[in-house]
Amino acid sequence: MATEQELSDFLKSVEKRAFKRSVYHVRNEEAALDIVQDSMLKLAEHYGDKPAAELPMLFQRILSNCTLDWFRRQKTRNALFSSMSDFEGPGEDGMDFDLLEAYSGPDDGDKAESAEDLTRRAQTFHQIEAEIEELPARQREAFLMRYWEEMDVSETAAAMGCSEGSVKTHCFRAIQTLSKALKAKGIEL
Amino acid sequence: MNTTPTLSQEAAAERFARRVSARLTDGSQDLPYDISERLRASRMQALARRKVLAPVRAPARAAAPVVLAGGASAALGGGGSEGNSWWNALVSAVPLIALVVGLFFISTVQDEFGANEIAEVDAALLTDELPPEAYSDPGFVQFLKTAAQNH
Repeated sequence: MATEQELSDFLKSVEKRAFKRSVYHVRNEEAALDIVQDSMLKLAEHYGDKPAAELPMLFQRILSNCTLDWFRRQKTRNALFSSMSDFEGPGEDGMDFDLLEAYSGPDDGDKAESAEDLTRRAQTFHQIEAEIEELPARQREAFLMRYWEEMDVSETAAAMGCSEGSVKTHCFRAIQTLSKALKAKGIEL
Repeated sequence: MNTTPTLSQEAAAERFARRVSARLTDGSQDLPYDISERLRASRMQALARRKVLAPVRAPARAAAPVVLAGGASAALGGGGSEGNSWWNALVSAVPLIALVVGLFFISTVQDEFGANEIAEVDAALLTDELPPEAYSDPGFVQFLKTAAQNH
């Protein structure tokens, strides 16, 4: 059984990646924070007594389910208020763009590296993020779980509820798409 | 023919994916302060929820303290099992029964004292040299009154 300290350390180690993953999926920071919070609560409430080794797998599954729930709720809401959301669409995009621009400001000031390196790195990071956001949902999920969360193929398959072959295919396609897109932008990793 | 290129392709893809992940990890470390704080608050909330539910999830180990706590409240408040309810009702009625018995005893003793006093007066009247009929004589009564006033 995971101790409170182990659970705390685990949540601390995954919370930032979980937040960014949710942002890539839902493209909304507030919603991503809610999803991560729900996932943490569910993990602690229902699986807090599980061994520490099982927590990563359980958390990934819960996070995926919470994200799917969010999309389902959005779908219902959009069906109910479709005309209203169409009206608000352009304004929301503008807000997102401003927020992203506002981020890179403080980041630049915090680091001791040269401003040029920092800017280039931040730009690369944002371009990678943008390309990941453009991936189809299943490919993105498989890619991030497999390589960013460092889960093996069988764990990723179990978390996604699909076969290992599907995970490999999703990952390979995601890598191909990312590679082509980044190369087209002149980004070498 | 396809095996070797596929393997090399996979290896290259794996390396590329690792480099992308490394960039993502680097870029994700410096989240804005408000987001980091909200994530920290969520983590604390989750840990607090775990504390509340921890004893429920381990019944074998948590049973002893729960039963002890229940026993203590049963002794004080009478919240025991169904089998003990009549006994608890009987025990809680004891003070009431004691009160009723006490009042009955006091009433009986008072009556007895009253009867004894009356009996003593009667006995004194009957054993006196003066006959009881004398007290019904108005002249004798007047004599007693004036004698009491003179003394």
